[in-house]
Amino acid sequence: MRTGTKENFPDDSISGRKYNLIFFSLMIILVILLILDIFFGSVSISASEVIRAIFTHTNSSFETIIMRFRLPKALTALTVGVALSLSGLQMQTIFRNPMAGPYVLGISSGASLGVAFVILGFSSGINGDSINALGNWILVVASWAGAGAIMILIMIISSKVKDIMTLLIIGIMLSSGIGAVVTILQYFSNETMLKAYVIWTMGSLGNLTEGQLTILLISVSAGVIMSILSTKILNALLLGENYARSIGLNVRFARGAIFSCTSILAGSVTAFCGPIGFIGIAVPHIVRIIFKTSDHRLLIPGTILMGGAVMLISDIISQLPGSENVLPINAVTSLIGIPVVIWVILRNRKFSGSF
Amino acid sequence: MKENSEEILSLDSLSIGYYSGKTENVLLPPLSAKANSGELIAVIGRNGIGKSTLLRTLAGLQQPLGGEIYYNKRNLINYSRMQLAKEVGYISTEIIKVSNMRVYELVALGRFPHTNWIGKIEFNDHKAIMDALEKTSMGSFCDKFVSELSDGERQKVMIARILAQDTGLMLMDEPTAFLDVAGRYEVLHLMRKLSGESQKTIIFSTHDLQMAISQSDKIWLVLDNRLFEGAPEDLMLEGAFNHLFNSSTVIFNSGDGTFSFRNESRGNIFVEGEGNKKYWTESAINRAGFTVSEVKTFPYVTTPSESNNYWRLSTHTGMLEFSTIYEMISYLGKK
Repeated sequence: MRTGTKENFPDDSISGRKYNLIFFSLMIILVILLILDIFFGSVSISASEVIRAIFTHTNSSFETIIMRFRLPKALTALTVGVALSLSGLQMQTIFRNPMAGPYVLGISSGASLGVAFVILGFSSGINGDSINALGNWILVVASWAGAGAIMILIMIISSKVKDIMTLLIIGIMLSSGIGAVVTILQYFSNETMLKAYVIWTMGSLGNLTEGQLTILLISVSAGVIMSILSTKILNALLLGENYARSIGLNVRFARGAIFSCTSILAGSVTAFCGPIGFIGIAVPHIVRIIFKTSDHRLLIPGTILMGGAVMLISDIISQLPGSENVLPINAVTSLIGIPVVIWVILRNRKFSGSF
Repeated sequence: MKENSEEILSLDSLSIGYYSGKTENVLLPPLSAKANSGELIAVIGRNGIGKSTLLRTLAGLQQPLGGEIYYNKRNLINYSRMQLAKEVGYISTEIIKVSNMRVYELVALGRFPHTNWIGKIEFNDHKAIMDALEKTSMGSFCDKFVSELSDGERQKVMIARILAQDTGLMLMDEPTAFLDVAGRYEVLHLMRKLSGESQKTIIFSTHDLQMAISQSDKIWLVLDNRLFEGAPEDLMLEGAFNHLFNSSTVIFNSGDGTFSFRNESRGNIFVEGEGNKKYWTESAINRAGFTVSEVKTFPYVTTPSESNNYWRLSTHTGMLEFSTIYEMISYLGKK
């Protein structure tokens, strides 16, 4: 039991020693995974070669592989994991729904619709193989807009539908509907546009140009900063709209801020890497299991570390260490995420409505 | 009249309701009422009359359709949401369902208007939280998950949350609604204590008329056309509660604040006896559809006494003995 004395005070959630230990371990794990992700690939390179390639300038083919491919890919994986997980955490809190996530609720689809409009609709100047810097920004902004539009749509629907599973089904419907619109766009577009779009949909963690990676890093960093700034807002929103207002939160502002943040995070990832499933929904639950708290002062940093780690693991698995084949990243994230989602659904039958 | 406590809230011809589309749905006509610091005020009215809407409007969660609300003599519209959160705490009937949320964390959210940008719990916040938990006797529940609490415990934690919020006024929408009898009295006792010892003004809605009458300092009786305001006893003497019952089958007894059903009386019975036994025997006779008469005529009932272990029913024709009230009432019922 905590008492009101000053000596016991630091036992409060955020500064507790056990949390420091968890954070420290997560950081170590993240660094190890980042290193492993650089070491493993379809070409086997010895550890000493990897280190030489990173720290010296040899112009060897190994160096090209490490510096031009593996390092950017690992960085992308890290960024994507952080962005999707954070957007999932925010959506679960703002919708008060454990099943919320950028992929299942159709936010990623919305983002891809934005991209489809740019590539298939107005892309006379954009070439699929070499999208210029301006084109990249247009792509990313269209993606944010698409994600944001679906967020608002889901918010309107969720104010009418309180049931968690119904919202999930509506999310799936929205994704299918968007898929249909994209198909129609494809039908009316010409061959070059179509090729550019198909290449995009196959997008993985490894296909980003240097310019695209820069844009991704800038956008996601902005999103992470916004997330940290919205910590207190998210905590208040746990209580639901009415209570949040009664303790002094401007709910309209809070929603606007978190919607923008989520759209930027999920939209940026989808713009360059395509829709990646189940990371956004699964990681926040893993973090909740570990920290056993609902306090976003712990959940946000926890989700950042765990999101990066899970995505790096997915990337390492997708490279099938020891073989020359590479699995599609989406297959790996689904296999990791779906069991978590099913566990949450089963657990929620007991405490219906809670997360 | 001597002013011995400060006015904390006043409603000036407040009209409440909601907009659906462009049409105004006025639920209640202009209401005027007052609340002083340290008062426990029960809002009473039939279902759907707008008690919740009134509380929501007072909490600033809903726009009034007309009239003014003053907190500490300052108009509600001049408060920012954050300023208002330091004046008024609110508990609705909505149950908070968040897994992995500990009692301490929930109560800590009450500090929202007082903490910095990230919600850091400073020492004085921690003290306020622990203090609130102690006052609600939930101190040992700190590390428990909110989802593991019973209904009564959860309600006490919710009260601790608005205590931590440190507001002069607390609004509670049916705080005892889904509690069992013990929980109901515990929560009401707590509210009573807070209003007395901590000088909190508590305005709560309830359907439990007897509890409201026995415990609150003041009652706001909300009727279709007006609001009666006053001490429960004043309202009782005015006969205000009779307006609650439009139906002719329920009677409110202004004498003792209880209810009875209006039945065709099956006759008069006098009860001879003392104290508890007399009281409950009379109550049973009422229930059986007889009127308790004031003068000793046949038939009459004599309650058990030292010399006698039976309820004796004496009539013109003779005397019957029953060992329980139940037996006697069964006999009367058959007659």
